[in-house]
Amino acid sequence: MSADKAGSGIPRRTIVIAFAAVVAVAIAVIGAALYLASDDDRSSGNSAAVDLSGIDQNGMFLGDPGAEVLLIEYADIQCPFCAQYSNGVFPVIVDEYIRPGKVRSEYRGLAFLPGPSSERGLRFVLAAGLQNHGWDLQEALFRNQGEEGTAWVTDELVRELASEIDGLDVDKMFEDADSAEVTSQIQEMARQGQADQVPGTPTFFVQIGDGEPYLIQVPLSPDAFRAALDDALQG
Amino acid sequence: MSDRLLRIGAALVALVGIAVAGYLTWAHYADQTVICVAGGGCEKVQSSEYAELLGVPVATLGLLAYVTILALIAWDAPLARLGAASLAFFGLLFSLYLLVVQAFVIEAFCIWCVVNDALVAPALALLTALRLR
Repeated sequence: MSADKAGSGIPRRTIVIAFAAVVAVAIAVIGAALYLASDDDRSSGNSAAVDLSGIDQNGMFLGDPGAEVLLIEYADIQCPFCAQYSNGVFPVIVDEYIRPGKVRSEYRGLAFLPGPSSERGLRFVLAAGLQNHGWDLQEALFRNQGEEGTAWVTDELVRELASEIDGLDVDKMFEDADSAEVTSQIQEMARQGQADQVPGTPTFFVQIGDGEPYLIQVPLSPDAFRAALDDALQG
Repeated sequence: MSDRLLRIGAALVALVGIAVAGYLTWAHYADQTVICVAGGGCEKVQSSEYAELLGVPVATLGLLAYVTILALIAWDAPLARLGAASLAFFGLLFSLYLLVVQAFVIEAFCIWCVVNDALVAPALALLTALRLR
């Protein structure tokens, strides 16, 4: 065996060059990956996962008031699975059921998880709801959800997200967040949650017409929700 | 260790890599349809911005790399050995990056990612490199 050839028959110099090239490419790829990921961070506040423009919003109701089926969602703005629903399932529900006028959805916010962010976030969502933009803000907050139990719902984050919502008076929303009206809504939603024996969040009820709402317990997947809503639409 | 054993070992490790990366690729696309284990870090890791590179899940890139390495092991020309070792070494470096991201940026671990990054990728890099001796 030649001194400058490995047993595999490949010149050692070639092996060294190949590995050096790999290190260089790896550094470039990892650098690009880090840059792109941080770029995602910077733009995440601007890119809604779902377009709610043109859909009727009234308080915390989203969709055509004449829709045959109402999907009631109990959620806590800090709950990771609520964010999973909001980011992964809700866009499908909006496109396939709410925008076509088949289903209307109601957001009932609960604030039971530890830390200040649940109530703070809910206050801002309901305050935006007073201007019929509550759904926009809850979607944005779920998309930018921070670590449970921490004070991630900061005024700065809310102001940044709210300023992206067309037609929302951000200063008024901040004023309303601590209003008696919003406090009363929070109490009413908590009362409804207790009356409905909501075990945790997210919890969903379906109401057909004026009928009694019934609990749906399905995986947080578009298909499972499609099945539940199609079933309800067939009466 | 004989070259034959190294070759079989590398092929088996590449197959394990294909299984793990294949599962993670499936989980990535099924993220919309399955609930991740409650309290586990996989949801957080898989849904993080680090789980994709230019819109492609990193698990899918890993799957492609493992399939390519397995093909190169099967081919087994000197150039193929160098290609397999180079690609596996790249995988090792990228896995180290992913481990650091999980530990210090996302602050959550996905068990399948850790199996891949801390066991499969280093083992494959070692076995394919040893075949260059």
